[in-house]
Formats: sequence, C-alpha cells, structure tokens
Amino acid sequence: MTALSARVALSRGFALDAEIRAEPGITVLFGPSGAGKTTFLHAILGATRPARGRVAVGERVVFDAEAAIDLPIHERRIGIVFQEGLLFPHLDARQNVMFGARDGDRARTADLWLERVGAAGLARRKPRDLSGGERQRVAFARALAAEPQALLLDEPFASLDHASRGALCGLLLDLRRDSPIPFVHVTHDPAEALRLGDAMVLLKDGRVSASGLPSALLAPGGEASAGGSTNWLRGTVVEDGPDGARVDLGGTVVAVPALGRAPGSPVVLSLPAEEPVLAMSEVRGTSARNVIPGTVVSIDGGDGAVDVVVATPVAIRVRITRGAARELALAVGSRVWLLVKASAFRRSG
Amino acid sequence: MIAAALGLSIAVAAVATTVVAVAGAATGRLLARRAFRGREIVDALLTLPLVLPPTVTGYGLLVLLGRHGWLGGPLRAATGLTIPFTFGACAIAAAVMAFPLMHRAARVAFDDTDARYAIAAASLGASPSRTLLAVEIPLARRGLAAGIALAFARALGEFGATLMLAGNIPGRTQTLPLAVYEAAMLGESRAALLLCLLLTGVSVVVLLLVGRLGRPR
Repeated sequence: MTALSARVALSRGFALDAEIRAEPGITVLFGPSGAGKTTFLHAILGATRPARGRVAVGERVVFDAEAAIDLPIHERRIGIVFQEGLLFPHLDARQNVMFGARDGDRARTADLWLERVGAAGLARRKPRDLSGGERQRVAFARALAAEPQALLLDEPFASLDHASRGALCGLLLDLRRDSPIPFVHVTHDPAEALRLGDAMVLLKDGRVSASGLPSALLAPGGEASAGGSTNWLRGTVVEDGPDGARVDLGGTVVAVPALGRAPGSPVVLSLPAEEPVLAMSEVRGTSARNVIPGTVVSIDGGDGAVDVVVATPVAIRVRITRGAARELALAVGSRVWLLVKASAFRRSG
Repeated sequence: MIAAALGLSIAVAAVATTVVAVAGAATGRLLARRAFRGREIVDALLTLPLVLPPTVTGYGLLVLLGRHGWLGGPLRAATGLTIPFTFGACAIAAAVMAFPLMHRAARVAFDDTDARYAIAAASLGASPSRTLLAVEIPLARRGLAAGIALAFARALGEFGATLMLAGNIPGRTQTLPLAVYEAAMLGESRAALLLCLLLTGVSVVVLLLVGRLGRPR
C-alpha cells in the first residue's frame, strides 16, 4: 500500500496552498477551471517548484522544502497523462510505450501494455493517425509501462466525445483494479467524478475546500454541488431489458430507459432538477414511471425558483416556481411524492 | 585560385557551422525554455552581428582577439599563438556572423514545441540528456536543420568580418567572397563571374533546402 501525500504552497503567479492524500485507487481532484488543479499536479510531478511543502510517495520523500529535498521529475517515479495525451509525434505507438518501459524486453512490455489498453492493433501507427480516444489509450499504456508509483491524470478525457469518454472511463477503472497505486484524476465533470472516484478532493481558488466521497460532495447541498440544477446520481443496475432498466441509487430504486448494462454494474445518472413533479399525495394513474415518496429536508429560495431537496432517502433536488412552493405550503419535514418520467434520467457514465 | 578559395570556404563554413549549430541550439533552447530577467536583452546581444555592419563586427573581433587584443594579448603571452590572418580567424569570423541565424531559428523551433513533451519524457524516467536527444531535438529538428542550412550559407558568404580579422591572403585566408572581390578589382571579370555563379548556385540549393524544412509537417 503506497499512498501519495502532497502538501504544496506557492505564490509565484498563482496562489496555491493545498494538501492531498491519495490512497491506492482513484482520487478525483475536482474544481472549476482556474482553481489551480493543473498547478497542483505540476508541483507534485516536479515541473513547478513550490515555495513550501512536502511530497511523498509512500515513505519516499521526493520534495521537502525544509529538508531541501527536490528530486528532479525523472527520479520521482510519478507518471502523468495530459489532456491531449502528448504522445511523442515522431514515434509510433509502440515506440511511445517503449520509451519509459523498465523491463529488459521493452518491446514485449510495450506490446503487453498496448494489448492491455485495447490498442494492440495500433502499435505501428503514428500519433497523428490515431483518434483522440486511441491516443489516450496509448498514453495510459505509456505512463503505466514506466511503472510509476503514482499516476496523475490531468483531465485526460476532456477533449473526447461522449462515447470515447465512457469507454475510457471503463478502461481506467479496469487499470485501477489491477494497479495498486494512487491515481489522482483531475476533472470538472460531476458524472466522471462520480463514476471514477473512490475519494474526492474539492479545489477552489487554490485551496482544498472539501474532501470526502464523491457521492456525498456532489449530492444536493454537498460542497461540490454548488447551485447546480442537475442531480448527479450513482447507482447499481438491478435489472435491464428492452423496456427499460431499474437502478438502485442506494436505497431508492428508480425506473430508467434501457441501459444495455449487466445487472450489478455501476452507472451514473443525471436528472435535471426541473424534471420531477412534486405532489403532496401519492398520485397514481399517470404516465410517470416513478412515484417516489420522500421527505423535504431543505427549501432554498432563489431568483424566481425554489430548490427543494427531498430525501427519498437518496437526496434529490427539485426546482419549482415560487408560486408552486407557496400554493403547496411546503415546509421542511413535509411528506411529498416525486413524479419522474423514466426518460428524465439520462445515463452519464 | 578558384579551387583554393572554394576549398577554404567550404572548410571554414563547415567548421563554423559545426560550432554554431551546437552553440546556437543551446542558446536558442535556453531562451525559449527559461524565463529570466533581461532575457530579451541577451537575445538582442546574441542577434547583434545580424544587424551590425560586418566590418564593425570584424573590428570588434580584432579588438578582442588581435595580437594586442583583450583576449588575444593574454593568449599570445601564454601560448605564443596569434589568431589574426589564420584559418582560425576565418572560422571565428564566419561563426560569429552565422551565429544569430542559428540562434534565432533554434529559439523559434524550441518555442514552437510544447514544453510538456519534455515533462512527459522526464515523468517516464528519461534523464535530461535523454529527453534532449530523444524528444526535444527530434521535435525541433526541422527548425534546427533550417537554422543549420542558413548558418552554413551565411558562413560561406562571409566577407566583411573575415576581411577585418583574417585579411585576404590567397591560399591561406582568401575565401570565395574575398576572391570575388579581388578578381573584380583586378579586372578578371571571367573569374569573378564564375565565382559569383558558384556562390549563387550553392546559396540557391541551401535556400531550397531551408524552404523544404520550413514547411509545416
């Protein structure tokens, strides 16, 4: 068990004062653009020198301002995958993976890794002849073939289309299962954070503003939900068929459109807060596939709209008009029912 | 005369270009990669021989490297060696004049390559020298090659600074451009024309090469 721990402060150009401890598994570093996520990664990697702080992989200290330890990047054994992959353009896919391979038979190591990431057929292709998703597969292979003790991922899926993003998320989860090292995954996509994260650290204006489970931080009222109008829900497929699927969100089972996923597999759903209809009694005989009982836990009035969070027990945010809230005489503790069409749930990962 | 001048010019240009290729690539990369105070002043100083009259540069070199020069004096006192009027003087003059072209080409070439490729290479365990040789130079190779070609052409055509530092000794320091000058002065128009055509031919080939290398990948 090797954890990555980093405490980093710098003020040159950008004020950053953040601390992270990433256990083996995927720690999501979450935050808006300009929060300092990339600067933080560069400081951990050794590409930016912090003014103060300490970075250690397990017991191995790679940076310590007070002890004047500052290993260069190539001695830290911390890998990185960039958003654009940054495969060496003058080398083909196999040569890229071979570049950092540590074993004696580097070509064989490279081929094994290419196969592992589903890119075995691309070995002789140059980066310019690969699609965005293929490039990232090769970039993962290249980073892991160097046997890093921690792997940093700087928004590796940000420039991919929806389908490749889903496939690459699946690949990353497979790689995590087989690699007992900490992965630090930077993203500002809630669905990605929910699908991938074993833990999550929220970075805001150069500081860690919260940390915890992604599902908790992204839940309505969670530190990372910050006024968003979308419910991000992580669940497990209970059953799936041509007429639709049922997903357990953790105590609340909902009907959703067919997913094409095996029972037991994890899934991330999004539900716009405007979609659910709020009823004060159990309404039957509608086309809504979901009638979910719950209790109002918070009411938050904004401009023209009111956000109501309902514990079902899974917390779901519902956005209604001020007039509707007044007429229903909603109060914290009110017993309510949510009417939600199956098609209002979208698969997001 | 022509054969001797051509041979000398090629030898001078080859030596000068070799030195300039390494030095210019180094300074170009340094200025492209490192931000420091006075970076643009350093850049301007390194580019100076490009804009100064060659005779001014040549005179400066004479002041520096002449028998009684700031460096030339101590060198002679210590080793007995003198620089002016030698093959070395030709090479130094040509190198100094060709240097800015290589330096600028290298700076642009390294500026145009994403610095994160080097970070990626290092994160894969590559030492700085391996990163330089296996990643940074290959990525900048077109710009560097164009710089080398231009530097070679410049070194081949150097006249003013060479005249100041190396003189015009046939068979010893008389390079092709100096031979053209002398032929024209002595009224040997056939020889002058032949030399001009020779230099023009070589230069056209170099420029075509530069154009090819400069095209986007």
